[in-house]
Amino acid sequence: MTFETWLRADRLPHIWCSGCSNGTILNCTLTAVDDLGLDPDRTVFVGGIGCSSRSVGYVATDSLHTTHGRALAFATGVKLADPTLNVLVFTGDGDLAAIGGNHFIHSCRRNIDLTVVCMNNLIYGMTGGQGSPTTPPGALSTTTPYGASEPAFDLAQLAVAAGANYVARWTSYHVRELERAIRAGIETPGLSFIEVRASCPTNYGRRNRLRDVTDQIEIFRTRSMLKAKYDRLVAAGSPVPPDAIVVGEFVRRANPVMGVPP
Amino acid sequence: MKLVIDEERCKGCNLCTMVCPYRIFRPGTRANRKGILVPELDRPERCTNCRLNRLYGRTLCGICQLTCPDQAISWVDEKPYEPVRMEVEY
Ligand SMILES: Cc1ncc(C[n+]2csc(CCOP(=O)(O)OP(=O)(O)O)c2C)c(N)n1
Ligand code: SF4
Ligand code: SF4
Ligand code: SF4
Repeated sequence: MTFETWLRADRLPHIWCSGCSNGTILNCTLTAVDDLGLDPDRTVFVGGIGCSSRSVGYVATDSLHTTHGRALAFATGVKLADPTLNVLVFTGDGDLAAIGGNHFIHSCRRNIDLTVVCMNNLIYGMTGGQGSPTTPPGALSTTTPYGASEPAFDLAQLAVAAGANYVARWTSYHVRELERAIRAGIETPGLSFIEVRASCPTNYGRRNRLRDVTDQIEIFRTRSMLKAKYDRLVAAGSPVPPDAIVVGEFVRRANPVMGVPP
Repeated sequence: MKLVIDEERCKGCNLCTMVCPYRIFRPGTRANRKGILVPELDRPERCTNCRLNRLYGRTLCGICQLTCPDQAISWVDEKPYEPVRMEVEY
């Protein structure tokens, strides 16, 4: 079996733009659930609103396409109603960290047994490129025409601080590592949060001199720095490049969890 | 196994040309029915999965398939290779 068997082939090709990372991340997630041998009849995908959240519509299992920002609230309901289900959440940076910010931190605090894959493309893709809480300082968007002036959220660190049991960050260039991280996330009881840096060539790339589809992927390839190396540099007091994308596993722990069968 | 690109799904993003270690995918030059420049395959028989899938009984490498955002890359079964004897007269 491959991820193909988890897809609703009748819905393809999907609506995403050419070169949008969402498709790659969907492939990696479905490969992870397939490798683990999860039962499609006992697996539920939940998404909010946004290009990224639309992923749930292409999965052949039961899935919920919910209201903006509330994916985690719906997923919590599904999981508590039947803790034997495997519940995965697809969300975007706007969906998760802006309108859904409170659901995010409280799901981490409760440590409910969900696997959350956040496609962080640093922008609101679906609505035409408004700035999000992860838009980096200086980046152009329709709501930051002179460059974003506010600091951005580090979603992985936020999840660690809020109490999630498993937190990792990868990019859509690191397909194998990402697949492995999602597998580890599903296997870890409690809230597993996997942030994936994603490209949005249409609304982020086009405004930020990354016009070609491959430009953003090239950045992921060249600027990613493993967490271990980053920690070494910080410990030694060496300078860290300001545009480094720290990737790897941030935490894996066994704190008390909610929503697992007794 | 034979490497194929599904022309109905490919959107011509060229990400596959970036990730294959053998550079089997080359940016397309001719637009198809949908106006998309589908990448061309340069000697696809070199692909790890084409060569070794049968032997190992699982997908090998497969990075292009995981990366392709449009689920357009796959492998199809091929008839086993039959040696053909050719005689060339000078
Ligand atoms: C309550 C509500 N407010 C606003 C919107 C409009 N809206 C739709 S998608 C979206 C942003 C999605 O951004 P993100 O989660 O980053 O996903 P992306 O499209 O970038 O993948 C917004 C604001 C909405 N649908 N519902
Ligand atoms: S707008 Fe951006 S996030 Fe949405 S489908 Fe297009 S590239 Fe992907
Ligand atoms: S990665 Fe997929 S969609 Fe993009 S050009 Fe290659 S085959 Fe086509
Ligand atoms: S499976 Fe690997 S070697 Fe084969 S075409 Fe894809 S990327 Fe290239």
